[in-house]
Amino acid sequence: MKATEIYSSATHIWLVLGRDSNKPNNIIDTNQYLIKSANEAIILDPGGIELFSPMLASILKHVSLEQVTTLFASHQDPDIISSLGLWDKALPQATLHAPWLWEGFIRHFGMDNISYQPIKDEGGEIKIGKTTLRFVPAHYLHSSGNFNVYDPTAKILMSGDIGAALEKGEPPMFVEDFASHVKHMEYFHRRWMPSNRAKENWIARVKELEIDIMAPQHGRIFKGETVQEFLEWFSRLDVGCACK
Amino acid sequence: MTKNDEAAQAVRNFVRVANIIANLDTILTEAKNLSLTAKNARVVALRAGDSAFGFKPITNFIDEFSDLTIKTTKQISQLSSQLFSIALSVVRCSDFQHHLNACAKHSQSKAINHLQRGINRELMQTIKQLESVIDHLESYFEDIKKQMRSAEYIAVTSRVEASNAGEFSESLQSVSDFITGAAKKIKSAIHNNLKEINQLKGALR
Repeated sequence: MKATEIYSSATHIWLVLGRDSNKPNNIIDTNQYLIKSANEAIILDPGGIELFSPMLASILKHVSLEQVTTLFASHQDPDIISSLGLWDKALPQATLHAPWLWEGFIRHFGMDNISYQPIKDEGGEIKIGKTTLRFVPAHYLHSSGNFNVYDPTAKILMSGDIGAALEKGEPPMFVEDFASHVKHMEYFHRRWMPSNRAKENWIARVKELEIDIMAPQHGRIFKGETVQEFLEWFSRLDVGCACK
Repeated sequence: MTKNDEAAQAVRNFVRVANIIANLDTILTEAKNLSLTAKNARVVALRAGDSAFGFKPITNFIDEFSDLTIKTTKQISQLSSQLFSIALSVVRCSDFQHHLNACAKHSQSKAINHLQRGINRELMQTIKQLESVIDHLESYFEDIKKQMRSAEYIAVTSRVEASNAGEFSESLQSVSDFITGAAKKIKSAIHNNLKEINQLKGALR
């Protein structure tokens, strides 16, 4: 599994872990994120069971297990958090921050040791080492209880399934040309995202934020101008196509 | 056996536990029916009066062993929820062990070795717990098996007594037939469970 640093400062670093060449062919590729600050680390959307071994091996190159104090699950899907039962044994002291709505569902993945910290619908904040992260509501995009993570210092928005693209092979880590990238994400957004109202609510919310990098859970990462290009494209897109 | 096979074996063992627990339902239902039969037989014997004099103590025996079987089966049910949870822990430990072994192929980290040692210990302890609960379960099933042997003797005796009960003979004969049938079903469920337990024990060795 590749680990790419997308941000580094005196206080903290962001790594994206993904593009695992040994991943079984029939499962969707995912981006996992690790933020390390001082002696603490958080894994954002730790991924599915199939990815646990390469994830663990990859993470241990950058942090010790004791440093991983926190997990975050943007929503309840298996590609987001079905590895929970295994992390539960590897990180028995950790805390999982996830939407309150999904607690009873996520616990089905197996959670005897890790503590569940429900995130309220309005969102919240968490301190990891010397940095503070915000949980930004992204409900119904696509899950009914759903959050992004915003880092105001690094100006990074981990946007979960928003901005996700389904590309075969091993695509580059960053979007180079937005126009040519649209074909990889249009159907995903039209089909997986159910509500134009939710979409508009989210766009209004994130337009308030300063974003240099928008980091989705699948596919390439948006950087610089491509972030604004995405927001404009998404605002024009009619979603919920299965009900039209 | 590879670690992957071990994880699959843990799941197979879990299925065996589920089979054992499913069979408990048959035992409990038949034992409850036996208890009901004893009550009905007592009423018939009362009506038959002196002609079914020998049948009255038999109904007490039926009552006794059906109550005992119900009690033992309920104890087994309590044990079975513990058994399920331990069997699930074995599956989870084996799964974690399997993933750690895969991870160790790509990492020289001491943390992985540490986790491997920890999970190997935990797995061994959990398997020991599982073995101990299975031993308890086996002894409970052996108890019910003995109770069913008694039931078969009683069925034979009650058939003899029923033949002397005049016009009530047919009703009391059907009681004997029912005891024979119920004992047979319970014995068959016990036989299946003891077979599963043997296989489970063999797999855990």
